[in-house]
Amino acid sequence: MKQHPLCTDPEHDTNVMDLPLPDGLKREWSELKTRRHFLGRTGKVLGWAALASLIGDKALTGVAHAENSVIPSRESLKLPHFAPKAKRAIYLFMSGGPPQMDLLDYKPNLAQLYDKDIPESVRGAQQLTGMTAGQARFPIAPSHWAFKQYGKSGAWVSDLLPFTAKMVDDLTIIKSTNTDAINHEPAIMLLNTGNMNAGKPCLGSWLSYGLGSMNDNLPTFMVLLSKTNPKENNQPVSSRLWSSGFLSSEYAGVGLRSAGDPVLYLSDPKGINREVRRKMLDAVNEINHQTYQELGDPETNSRISEYEMAYRMQASVPELTDMSKEPQSTWDLYGPDAREPGTFAYNCLLARRMAERGVRFTQIYKRGWDLHGDAVGILPVLCRETDRASYALVTDLKRRGLLDDTLVIWAGEFGRTVYSQGGLSPDNYGRDHHPRCYTTWMAGGGVRPGITFGETDEYSYNVVKDPVHVRDFNATLLHCLGIDHNKLTYKFQGLDQKLTGTTPASVVTGLLA
Amino acid sequence: MTFDFSKIFPKSRLAKLVWVLTLLVSAALLLLSTVFKLDGKVHADWQQFLGRFHPLVVHLPIGLILLVPLLEIAGRFRQALREAAAFVLSLSVAACLAAVILGYLLAYGSGESGVRVTRHMWGGITLTLAVLLCALVRPFWASGTPRRVLRDAYPCLLTVSSLLLLWTAHQGGSLTHGDSYLTEYLPASLKHWPGIGLAQATYPPASDSFYAKHIHPVLDANCVSCHGGAKVKGGLRLDSYSFLMRGGHEGAVVIPSEPERSLLIQRIMLPADHKKFMPAEGKPPLKPEEILLIKTWIAQGASPTVTSLAGITVREEEKPLPLVGDYSGLMAEIEQIAKAEGVTIVPVSRNPADGLVLNTVNAPTNFGDAQLARFQQFAPFIVEVELGRTSVTDACFDTLAKFSHLRALHLEDTAVTGVGLQKLTQLSQLTYLNLSGTKVGEAAVASLGSLKQLRHLYLYNTPAHPESAAPAGPQSVERSKARQAS
Repeated sequence: MKQHPLCTDPEHDTNVMDLPLPDGLKREWSELKTRRHFLGRTGKVLGWAALASLIGDKALTGVAHAENSVIPSRESLKLPHFAPKAKRAIYLFMSGGPPQMDLLDYKPNLAQLYDKDIPESVRGAQQLTGMTAGQARFPIAPSHWAFKQYGKSGAWVSDLLPFTAKMVDDLTIIKSTNTDAINHEPAIMLLNTGNMNAGKPCLGSWLSYGLGSMNDNLPTFMVLLSKTNPKENNQPVSSRLWSSGFLSSEYAGVGLRSAGDPVLYLSDPKGINREVRRKMLDAVNEINHQTYQELGDPETNSRISEYEMAYRMQASVPELTDMSKEPQSTWDLYGPDAREPGTFAYNCLLARRMAERGVRFTQIYKRGWDLHGDAVGILPVLCRETDRASYALVTDLKRRGLLDDTLVIWAGEFGRTVYSQGGLSPDNYGRDHHPRCYTTWMAGGGVRPGITFGETDEYSYNVVKDPVHVRDFNATLLHCLGIDHNKLTYKFQGLDQKLTGTTPASVVTGLLA
Repeated sequence: MTFDFSKIFPKSRLAKLVWVLTLLVSAALLLLSTVFKLDGKVHADWQQFLGRFHPLVVHLPIGLILLVPLLEIAGRFRQALREAAAFVLSLSVAACLAAVILGYLLAYGSGESGVRVTRHMWGGITLTLAVLLCALVRPFWASGTPRRVLRDAYPCLLTVSSLLLLWTAHQGGSLTHGDSYLTEYLPASLKHWPGIGLAQATYPPASDSFYAKHIHPVLDANCVSCHGGAKVKGGLRLDSYSFLMRGGHEGAVVIPSEPERSLLIQRIMLPADHKKFMPAEGKPPLKPEEILLIKTWIAQGASPTVTSLAGITVREEEKPLPLVGDYSGLMAEIEQIAKAEGVTIVPVSRNPADGLVLNTVNAPTNFGDAQLARFQQFAPFIVEVELGRTSVTDACFDTLAKFSHLRALHLEDTAVTGVGLQKLTQLSQLTYLNLSGTKVGEAAVASLGSLKQLRHLYLYNTPAHPESAAPAGPQSVERSKARQAS
């Protein structure tokens, strides 16, 4: 005989999953339940109390809000919103903040302002970092390097970037990028996730969630860390930056290590062959399925799919990283650095190979751009490491016909100050963080090649024309990939969360092809 | 048949007076446009003030006239309604006269002229006369006079008046809302019907000149409704280059090389609340970039033939991509076959008409011509085919030629050698073809010469000499310069 559900002891018989409740509530319940298991079984009463408070008056009326009724699956999103120009993206992340006035934002008048103080009116009431707040004066440090015009577009490029100079007609240079944060962690977080606080999904996770995978055997979102150079001032980057936040963890970035095995423990240990591995995985999956049946925690399913992906990657990653079949022309283009695993050049080549294999989003981190001192000594090293490889990547994609539907992005988290941090001498200077303006570029699917967008004042300090806030920058990236940034949302903590956050953002149409 | 004129001409003095008045009013209406010619010049403000009540008042006679036949028909069943018809008819005459006079004040006062204005004017006058006649002959019909000619005159005239009313009202509506107002949102399938699409045919002939591509469309969208063939305000027409240069009553509006002195520029750059600001009457102002285009064009000589201007790059509006048909009913079958062959077929976007993409990156290595052929039945819905690194051979071209909506084709790193490549020339929408890393030679590539839409052809790492292929149509074809002997 079937008992009335309220007459049974919930401890033993009633499964919340079977009750006529909205799926959203069930999900919240399962999360609570997981937490409760963690705390111990005695917490169950608390769990019921929490469920009751979650349901509130809905329990009495039996009416559920439509927005709570389903956890959106990727398929139900029906993306892209419109026909995309780019199917995939490669993000060259210049962590630390490249100095815009030494690379692409040419300011010829600064030479005669050497060691003069930057006018109060330009600096305004701006917040300073702890690094320069104590400085008595803010002397202007003109760029140590000369600039020349290149290409049909006539873009000015520093002598530090001889290779970038060769491809300016393929680039969309944005001189008016600006951000809100003045320190590395919040600024990288803001650029990557639309929020300075950790915990939100990053661009790659949103793409992964929204667009899904093209290749079943490789992750949708890959992160490549480049080897650090001890001469450079390397700010830490961590997996928070490629975290999926509140989205399912299967949308998090998969990092490839810069040395040794690209993925740890991917190769089978001695004495274990692929068949044994398969059997082991099947057994683990069986146990995980049982756990899921018992607890209903969606993260269990994510774990199962991650194990499966890892198994498939055992075959696909060695093929991906096997460069032996690359023709000589590849090495001629990328340069000798590309032979050494973990370098930025190697990662660029790997990114091209992943683009060919349908990886949706690859983010390459290059650290070391935090040039607080000895810019003249370190900047040439940084440029040698990145200039040729960036050029090689764009050129290689172009000649292979991949640039039409691949978007390449080159950006740091902020720019650097025109005034010197620490002592200024004719031979050397340092530069502090500068969020008000900095230069980035894009190339390929969806953006307009051969243009320079936005302008800064004569000190490269404030944007004077066509500002591109990082929110607008991200909205534009999503647009190139066929996504309306206002429509790709996920309900969490009572908000329709999105990559561009709650402050209105807009697609910068001037950048679009 | 003979007329007994004594029966037509009324005998009472009042009736005679009515007839005389009718004749006088008719004569006045007919002579109106000869005395006060619509010369396109702006006249007194009071005329415009009163004239602007025309669009308001004009609905009164429309309603009244349409009511008359209804009342007459209903009057067969209820006598009272028939009596009302006589009253409504007399009101119609008065309303018509008021509308005509106000309408004429509007046209004359604000200096309107042009074909459609004239047509509307004569329509209104003729209609008024017709309604007047209706009112005169109605008594014969109502009294049931034995003379058929007199008796039938009223229903005939009433029918004519109603039709004339429709025509005149439409002319007036087109004046205020523009020619294509009614048909703008007509279902596309009906637009092909003869007569309906004719309005578009008068658009100036396609030309590559900067004027035709960038100046005329702006004028056409913003100015021609008042300065065109249908309505010529201030004697100025802007619907062709020669009219634009001829100017209006105030002289030339475009002075080549002198945008600041050109009246056209002056008027569109006035503050929006200025009396002489154009476009007038609350129509949306020109966009800054449109003004910039016109200004630069005038500054650089206002030439009718020049195709580009220094310092101006105008992005071409992309032609909307052709849509594919409805495949929703086939989706289950498509997915079943795709699954069996280990490939994915995904929509380009959430709009099904954007088509499908066939992606083989997950396919087993033996995916080849036979497997591809299984998708031939869905060919019209597939806009992109990715066959890179599969086992397809030259035999695939037979199948691919059937993919009529194909826009992008990836064949990189396959065994194709180019035999049969010319079959792809049937694919009129193909814009992207990637043959990198294949054995395709020069001759095969040259055979693609007639693919007009092909903009991106990739031959990296092939025997084909990059420069050898015949240019495909007017567009320059990007070709990979780098090449490697294999």
